[in-house]
Amino acid sequence: MGDKTDVWQGTLALMILKTLETMGPQHGYGLARRIEQTSGDLLQLNYGTLYPALLKLEQEGYVRSQWGTSDNNRKAKFYELTKAGQKQVRRATADWEQTTEILSRFLSPAEEA
Amino acid sequence: MRKLRAVWVRLLGIVRGRADDEFSAELDAHIALQVEDGMRSGLTEGEARRRARVQLGGMEQVMQARREGRSLPWIENVARDLRYAVRTLAKHPAITLVAVISIGLGIGANATIFAMVSRFVLRPAPVGDPSTLLSLHIAPKGDPCCNEFPLPVYEDIRDQAKSFSGVAAFYELLPASISGGGEPERVWGQAVTTNYFDVLRLPMVAGRGFAEQESRSPDVVLSARLWQSRFASDPQIVGKSVKLSGKAFTVVGIAPASFRSVDQILNIQFWVPLGLAKELAADVPPQNSREYHWLAVVARLRDGVTRNEAASELDTMAHRFEAEYPKTDKNMAFRFEQAGSLPPRERNAVLTFLSVLSVIVLLLLAIAGANVANLLFAKAAGRQREMAVRLALGATRARLRRQMLVESTLLGVAGGTLGVLMSLWATQALSAFHVPAPIPLNLFVALDWRTLAYTLAVSIGCGVLLGMAPAWAASRPMLANALKGEDALARPGRCVTLRNVLVVAQIAMSVVLLCVTGLFLRSLDSAARIDLGFRSQGLLLVSMDPRLNGYTPEQISRFMRQLRQRVAALPGVDAAVPTDVAMLSGGHRSDGFTVSGREGKDAVNAMTELYMITPGYFAAMGIPMLAGHDVGEVASKGPRVAVVNKAFAEKLFPGGNPMGQHVNGGGWTYEIIGVVGNTKARTIGEDTRPVLYRSLDQSIAEDPSGMGYTLVVHTPGNPAALSEAVRRQIYGLDPNIAIYNEETMEEHVKSAYFLPRLAATLFGVFGGIGLLLAAVGLYGVMSYAVSRRTREIGIRMALGARTGNVAGLIVRQGMALAVIAMGLGWPVAWMLSRFASSFLYGIKPHDVVTFVAVPVFLGVIALIACWLPARRAASVDPVQALRTE
Repeated sequence: MGDKTDVWQGTLALMILKTLETMGPQHGYGLARRIEQTSGDLLQLNYGTLYPALLKLEQEGYVRSQWGTSDNNRKAKFYELTKAGQKQVRRATADWEQTTEILSRFLSPAEEA
Repeated sequence: MRKLRAVWVRLLGIVRGRADDEFSAELDAHIALQVEDGMRSGLTEGEARRRARVQLGGMEQVMQARREGRSLPWIENVARDLRYAVRTLAKHPAITLVAVISIGLGIGANATIFAMVSRFVLRPAPVGDPSTLLSLHIAPKGDPCCNEFPLPVYEDIRDQAKSFSGVAAFYELLPASISGGGEPERVWGQAVTTNYFDVLRLPMVAGRGFAEQESRSPDVVLSARLWQSRFASDPQIVGKSVKLSGKAFTVVGIAPASFRSVDQILNIQFWVPLGLAKELAADVPPQNSREYHWLAVVARLRDGVTRNEAASELDTMAHRFEAEYPKTDKNMAFRFEQAGSLPPRERNAVLTFLSVLSVIVLLLLAIAGANVANLLFAKAAGRQREMAVRLALGATRARLRRQMLVESTLLGVAGGTLGVLMSLWATQALSAFHVPAPIPLNLFVALDWRTLAYTLAVSIGCGVLLGMAPAWAASRPMLANALKGEDALARPGRCVTLRNVLVVAQIAMSVVLLCVTGLFLRSLDSAARIDLGFRSQGLLLVSMDPRLNGYTPEQISRFMRQLRQRVAALPGVDAAVPTDVAMLSGGHRSDGFTVSGREGKDAVNAMTELYMITPGYFAAMGIPMLAGHDVGEVASKGPRVAVVNKAFAEKLFPGGNPMGQHVNGGGWTYEIIGVVGNTKARTIGEDTRPVLYRSLDQSIAEDPSGMGYTLVVHTPGNPAALSEAVRRQIYGLDPNIAIYNEETMEEHVKSAYFLPRLAATLFGVFGGIGLLLAAVGLYGVMSYAVSRRTREIGIRMALGARTGNVAGLIVRQGMALAVIAMGLGWPVAWMLSRFASSFLYGIKPHDVVTFVAVPVFLGVIALIACWLPARRAASVDPVQALRTE
């Protein structure tokens, strides 16, 4: 698994929020798997970092959690997006797109010239 | 916003406990799900579980990361430090107690003095928007500040000045008797222009206040206190009629309870329109004269006008007045300050007094602080092992320092709390001091929010400062020494230790403190031996003002004569003599006097105190007749006669005989028929003033007393026991007469000692505390020195030193510190003492007795503080001492 990339600082929250937006309510493990799959298994996610990030989002009011039952009848805690969370996804997405756009201009100056 | 919400949830997280269990259930579910996935893809259960755990990254670490995110770790850390600090402090109850009491005394003294500063200097007037309300004064060029306003000058300013949105004037003190609903009582009010409360922006509690227009309708605004005490807070009072000095007034409003007067010192009970002043006071000056200065003036700055602009406008007006009224308005100039600040005349004295006190209490706090720092240092020395172990186990130095700082801050806050409690009591005791003034003053001092905030800041500052040095030292122990159990704070090759510096500073400061204390104690002592010139025992004083009941001067004269006869007939009464105002009541009536026929330009003009007396006054008061005789029964319309005191005679007739001579003063001519001994007139601290005693019957008609009349009753027995009987006689003549200032001469004289007593009490207490703290500090340092040198002492003794040598060694070391400290403190005290000079009675600021006695006294105390540990050192058993390690 040596060629996998670690999650960049600060991007995990956005990944979580976006995943919840597309997938709907999800438990922690499901979220982790989904994030890995979406990245085409290129991301190496330390599952341990997922939970503090979820806690922070919950404290900020972007997600809420409640206990439920998984597909295979296991009790697990499910996270879902709140209204504020949906707004935050849009805002953070726009921010991120702008950032990458600016960066890409730096990285490919040939196109400008 | 989101961040705030997160902090809030985290704060809640500290309080809520059981989330750990829930999280561990969540992690369990996570692992179970991953194991199921793994097994589905063909792994064994064991392998799947192993992989799941590896990818999660360790249960405990995840739990911890979450825990830190759940609440605010630094708060939890501080909370942990606090818990730990409480535990350590509780483990050394003796040190903690001494430290808390020391800081408490220091902070209590500071809080008390600051409460006075806050009350008299910082507190704004209790009016709406106090910062734009100004008190105006007339301060003629070249004259000392300040004078009041003639009515026309006020009216000119009110009508012409553009800098002010409103200008109000008031006559500051107007007595009235109020009767009905209890015994008649004399109360003090003010006569104000009807815009007064509007300019002050004070809404009425009830009623609508005075009408807009100046009016002569008999309206009155009552103070909330008078409303409560006299009318049981009657909610229907507005519109009712009340009687002041027998005249009917309609209540139009109740002033807010917080408002007593603009100057925050007078305690005013009612307000009537200025036009009604004449109804209540016979001696109101003519309204249209520019010569009589009798009104206080406040002005409200118009929005957007600065004080400088207002000042320059007033300057321009003053010039105009000078040109327009050259006769009366010569040298006219105005000045102002924010309303409610100290009266300009007393300002400097009060500020000096408060500054001296502030310096003294700061010294006291510094002494207390040095003491506690020393204690903490000793304690830090005892905890080197603990610190070294914690360091060795990987605690950072910053962390240890924080721990020590939390501890000392906790001590500071605990001391501060104790200090606040002490100053609660102290301010109450201070407020109980009776001020010798015949007018109603409100000098009540209490702890306000400013004082509490100041105290909190000082407590925390004190705690942090105190912890700094020990924390620094303790966090840098000589690790190797400490783990071996040896002294790790003593750095090799250092002979001036911080502890010695602290103790020297402490003693030096106590020298200063004790010298000032000594000065004030000596001052009280010398004040107590001041010869008043009259007797203070066996005299009862009862005051009344029949004028307030509508009596004419003739009627008052007759009333006093009847009362005199009735009271003199009481069993146990030697004599009863009416006068206008008892001596030592502050200033009253005074006039310049010259010898008749010698009114030339360079004739001696003696500023003379005037008293009205009745026959038998000198015998009753115990004032010796030196020549001539008492006023006797004289015809009230006959030629005026007077008795003068020795100082008067010496001033106006140096070397000559005053008897039968005539003197002029205040527009009258008196024939001198007697000379009596000198007495103190206004205050006990004064240099003897010339006094002229005139006949009450002859003077009452043309120069009535504004302060009422006092009956002096002389008895060989206990004067206080007579008061009921005297009251009955007064009510027997007229049940509506208000009686006030009822006291024995002893009480009266005692309150005249107000200033020296106040100063001596304050400084006595502070000096005592300072001395105690310094002694404890020196004792602590010497004890510590002895305990550290136990082994050395043991060796010395084993080598043949005798107990005397050892004790001498310790005492010498301690006394060296004391002597150095005194050498430093004494000159400072010498220099500082001149600031106290204006408050001293009968002694010089460089009083030899004080400046010799204090070092000797302090030396003795230091000797005792050193001797106790020295004796312990001398009793060290060399065998024991060498064996301990």
